[in-house]
Amino acid sequence: MTKVLLKGIRKKFGAVEIIRGVDLDIEDGEFVVFVGPSGCGKSTLLRLISGLEHISGGELHIGGQLVNEVPASRRGVAMVFQSYALYPHLTVRDNMGFGLKVRKVPASERARRVSEAAATLKLEPLLDRFPRQLSGGQRQRVAIGRAIVGNPDVFLFDEPLSNLDAELRVHMRSEIAALHQRLSTTMIYVTHDQIEAMTLADKIVVLRDGRVEQVGTPRDLYDSPRTIFVAQFIGSPKMNILPLADGGPIAPGASVPATAISVGIRPEHLSLGKSSNSTLRGKVRLAEYTGAVTLLHVELDGGQTCLVIQNQGPAPETGAEVSLQADPGRLHFFDREGQAV
Amino acid sequence: MTARRTEIVYRICWTIALLLLAVPFIFPFLWMISGGFKSTTEIFGAPTLIPRVWRFENFVEVFTYQPFARQYFNSLYIAATVTVLTLFIASLAGYALARIRFAGAGLLMLFLVMALMVPEEVTIIPNFFLIRAMGLIDTHWPLILLPVFGPQGVVATFLMRQFFLALPKELEDAGKMDGLSRFGVWLKIALPMSRPALAAVAIITFLHSWNLFLEPLIFLSSLEKFTLPLALSNFNDSYGLPLWNLQLAATSLAVVPILIIYLIAQRQIIESFALSGVKG
Repeated sequence: MTKVLLKGIRKKFGAVEIIRGVDLDIEDGEFVVFVGPSGCGKSTLLRLISGLEHISGGELHIGGQLVNEVPASRRGVAMVFQSYALYPHLTVRDNMGFGLKVRKVPASERARRVSEAAATLKLEPLLDRFPRQLSGGQRQRVAIGRAIVGNPDVFLFDEPLSNLDAELRVHMRSEIAALHQRLSTTMIYVTHDQIEAMTLADKIVVLRDGRVEQVGTPRDLYDSPRTIFVAQFIGSPKMNILPLADGGPIAPGASVPATAISVGIRPEHLSLGKSSNSTLRGKVRLAEYTGAVTLLHVELDGGQTCLVIQNQGPAPETGAEVSLQADPGRLHFFDREGQAV
Repeated sequence: MTARRTEIVYRICWTIALLLLAVPFIFPFLWMISGGFKSTTEIFGAPTLIPRVWRFENFVEVFTYQPFARQYFNSLYIAATVTVLTLFIASLAGYALARIRFAGAGLLMLFLVMALMVPEEVTIIPNFFLIRAMGLIDTHWPLILLPVFGPQGVVATFLMRQFFLALPKELEDAGKMDGLSRFGVWLKIALPMSRPALAAVAIITFLHSWNLFLEPLIFLSSLEKFTLPLALSNFNDSYGLPLWNLQLAATSLAVVPILIIYLIAQRQIIESFALSGVKG
């Protein structure tokens, strides 16, 4: 059982505190994704778990053991880096077996484990090539293979797909998901791509300024964001947040909490309606046709810009006057502190 | 076809231009080799590139005039030792300065680079007293210790540091995850990846040690301990006048290792000068 438990984890670089007390409970075999904007500390948190950075405060338990002072190589974790970090002077085979060699695993055992991992990742024909002779996707697979051969208790992925092109990213994403299903090992994955987060994660951890903003399943975070930050961070295009004075009339009949000052509506939950049902009107400033849907940028009468996804019928022309309405059950209300109410 | 013809003409023109440009560099070299096969009289007679009488015995005389084989060996082993030691120390120190966070690392580097600004001629007298106090006069130790720990060592350390700074940190992180110690990361990852920089440092250091003249002149007095540059200046007649044919023959022999190095590592030499900003 390899649970990962973070209790009040802190990290300071000089006087600057990057991680400000993170509590997290990661279950055995869970796929957890850290997301957040640049500089929120997600990669630092991963490096703290890996042992590449020293923890300034708090406790880190892996598999029930306190590992704050345990070196990276003895934590039972393996890491896949953003740049793959393959040793350029070694062949794929040697890259994959390098860690085992350092740990003095006998050559026969090493060869067996490398060939097993290579078979899992379909790397057999590439074993005698050097990293420079591989494509981006192949390099990524080798990096994953290098992590697999050590039989780690926890896999750590630091934005592993960000150097790949869009098509390959989708492919590798599904490979990582399949790998998780096959190995059932605890995986912690850092990304700023929320599609990756939503599609891969059992649990998403949204980080902001070194703190956990919200933890939950992708659906939890999407349907019930606890703060405006999460509401706007999860979902693409992002949620519209309107002052209640402007956005209130968008769904006549919705019950509005007393402390709410703003309302959030996802672009896909807005539709163009008849003016009799809505007092929210505006002008189409931009219509972005993406094939499946059209994303409308509507400038409201109050000056706010509202995004609307239109997936049926012809889209209105730029400059057209439109009325907007939403399902009352799909509204999110936030108080003065940005907390959901 | 026309494009191909233009390219051929272009290539021929370039080759001719480069050959012409090479003449001032190649001619003295050929003149040296040719002089090594001539008699002194012929050297100062009507100039010819091909000797009228080939005096192969010059090359024998070079070895009988003084212990030239021993001196040749001295130069070789001193340059090799200096190169190996410099590579070891400069790569370790350069790695530490590039990668280990410690108080005053920047200041230390600045201090080292500042030491480069002091001309060797200024430090030679204090160094002489130091070496004499250590009882190492007329030994090869000063020719090894001074380049390794002196300005040449600092240049090498600086080059290695700059190279290590450019190495991706993630590779070292991967090494740590694989269980390597810091020394292990240096040995198994940083060093194999810095072969171009090591080659550059090796070439520069070897050439510097091979050409060293002032230090051997000051620290050595026994003929059999001489190095090549000193030995070359020692082919004189009883009046102290140079025996040109022997000097040229000996010099022709002295350039052989350098020629071999140049032929093997042309690319690295060009890179090394680009890396160091040093002119050849």
